[in-house]
Amino acid sequence: MATTLDRVVDALDVETFLVCETEDEGRSLAVQLVRDLGFRDVDLVFAEFMGHGIRVRVRAYVQRPGDLYPWLPGGGASAPAAGGPPEGAA
Amino acid sequence: MNGSRKTIVLAPLDPVHDVGLRLIARGLEEHGYETVCLPPDTSVEEVIDAAATLEPEAVMVGRTISYQVAEIMARLADLMDAAGLRRTCKVVLGGMAIKPELVAELGFDAGFGPGTRVEEVVAFLQGREASGATSARTAKQKLDVTLKHTYGYRDAEIGALLDSIATAALEWAATRSSPGLERARLRREMLTLTGGGDPGTELDPAARASLAQVRHEYLSRCDDATVAHYRDGTPPRAVRFLSPEEIDGITAYAARYAGPGVRTQHAPGQPLVFVQYGTGCPLMDIAHIKICEAWGADGLHHFDPTWSANSEGLPEGYLSHQDSGTVYTPEIVGLIKRCLSPSTVWTLRSHRGLNTPEVVVLAGLLGADGVRMNPVYGCLSGGTEPERMVVDGIAAMRYAAEFGLPFDVPVGHELSGVPTEKTLASLLISAALGIKVGARPILNPLFCYSPSVILSGQMEENYVDFNVARVEALRRVLDAPVRAGEPVAFMTHTGERTQSAVTTTLHAALAMSLEVDAVTIASTDEAYAGGPITAPSRTDTLIAIKEAFRFFGGTKIVPTAQAEIWTERLVEGIAETLAAVERRGDLVAALYEGLLGGREDGASPGRFGKGTVTEIG
Repeated sequence: MATTLDRVVDALDVETFLVCETEDEGRSLAVQLVRDLGFRDVDLVFAEFMGHGIRVRVRAYVQRPGDLYPWLPGGGASAPAAGGPPEGAA
Repeated sequence: MNGSRKTIVLAPLDPVHDVGLRLIARGLEEHGYETVCLPPDTSVEEVIDAAATLEPEAVMVGRTISYQVAEIMARLADLMDAAGLRRTCKVVLGGMAIKPELVAELGFDAGFGPGTRVEEVVAFLQGREASGATSARTAKQKLDVTLKHTYGYRDAEIGALLDSIATAALEWAATRSSPGLERARLRREMLTLTGGGDPGTELDPAARASLAQVRHEYLSRCDDATVAHYRDGTPPRAVRFLSPEEIDGITAYAARYAGPGVRTQHAPGQPLVFVQYGTGCPLMDIAHIKICEAWGADGLHHFDPTWSANSEGLPEGYLSHQDSGTVYTPEIVGLIKRCLSPSTVWTLRSHRGLNTPEVVVLAGLLGADGVRMNPVYGCLSGGTEPERMVVDGIAAMRYAAEFGLPFDVPVGHELSGVPTEKTLASLLISAALGIKVGARPILNPLFCYSPSVILSGQMEENYVDFNVARVEALRRVLDAPVRAGEPVAFMTHTGERTQSAVTTTLHAALAMSLEVDAVTIASTDEAYAGGPITAPSRTDTLIAIKEAFRFFGGTKIVPTAQAEIWTERLVEGIAETLAAVERRGDLVAALYEGLLGGREDGASPGRFGKGTVTEIG
């Protein structure tokens, strides 16, 4: 069943400020935050700790290049072709 | 005025702000409407009274500050209903605090947010689309930046050196061939037989037989992996074929948005803005292309994967993979071309690798607007053996000349550590080769930080002076178009998106001030290496540059006196480098001996294609 996430072209970025004691703690919290939202393909794009907290940009890839994209119109996400180069094509 | 169908009441339901409404009122007056502007801090009840008395065609209500906006507008809707006014006049909301969701929720006739043009309001009142006005704002034409340049040498001494180097290289290449050069000829025959790769072309038996014969010849000049792809129908490693449904889907997706997009330039002469793409998947690329077009990109550069560039022979079919760079096949090039907006300038990277002439053939026959070539860069940092790269590069330039394709001359080997004067000398050699065969080069100096500049300290004080010197030095030698890159601000970005957008924008603004013809920009993901570039990161920098072009207009940025000193030194360094290459009398030997960048500079002659050049009669 289609979800709103199916409309995401590639990724979600979450930008926020987390209160934390250390940079390591902040980086860990940031990734965990997005994992807690249900995403698995998660990475920290940017983090800057300033003593009392951390400014972060965390990314969750919903679609990576080469995936089957549910946002394609007309059922483009069906099984990929297994054939070779098109006959007669150059 | 009372009872007139052309009276509009404008009422700021806001304690202070009414400028937006007054601007709209002035525009409506110019379009023949009579307007009645109520003062700021008008109450909802006063608006109702005015509407009941004046019986206008429409009531336009403005609100800038956001607190209590929903409550006030809901009350307005209720009182308008109670007075029966919504049956007799349109009710329109406008202003910074007005969102489409609120307009829809309360059932108002229309809502206009920030940036609304009078033409849009008039079109609404007249019950028509504001398409004409939109086109006037955003109409674009595909521009050829080479047309306003003479390609004449401004420095006679350096011009003579370049002419001598290019003449010798062309004479040397005239008696040599390579598998890449021969495949380009065969690819051209195949494309001609198949109607330029049109997927709808039906071949008669004779054409099919001819195609099979030419393909057989083509495969005899390919490496084993490419041959296996054709003979067994298997995609290259880690690559999959796209399904017909995916091709149909992306075609329908692209058709939804034909453009034209936002115009990034605000003043005449501001540079075209180019974006690079190559996610590995042509479908994702096309999604990004359409987004970039909509947000103001004027041009696009296609990047191919290293593994494909270093293979003998190009694959065929609709292919996708998850690594960086999107494969060149006739089908993919044709698909992307079909999805582009008509005004988009589209170039294909072909400066390195074993398929350089063939890529230019694809570009020429399948509708690209340019290619990208610098044989020196291609062999010193691109991995291709110098002899092969020079033979193929010159052949590719001849194709570019024949197809009328301008070609970019990049100098990415400066990012390996090669000093600027050597990279600019190599750029000029490639440009001279192209000019001599009738092609039109576009000079692509770095407009960014680079390892050699870090070591030299030439950007310790600012990022302005040395970038100015790079451009000015080239201009003192040759009258040719300049596209600054690559991308601008490279190596100054961080993962922080605001910083990344700002540094890109400042570099683009400096390039604008220098009146370069075009800039190539990065996304705000430029410094992020953990995954593919995302669509929103592309709009970040396009939005920022548009704002910078609006801010600066025709303003000039003044460098310090150091820029002139460095410009003169660069010109001297270019002359010294070219003199050494000219004395050597053999471009390939000069490349092997490091005269244009050696191992101490982080550049090494490539090895792909070694031993494949043959002498011909």
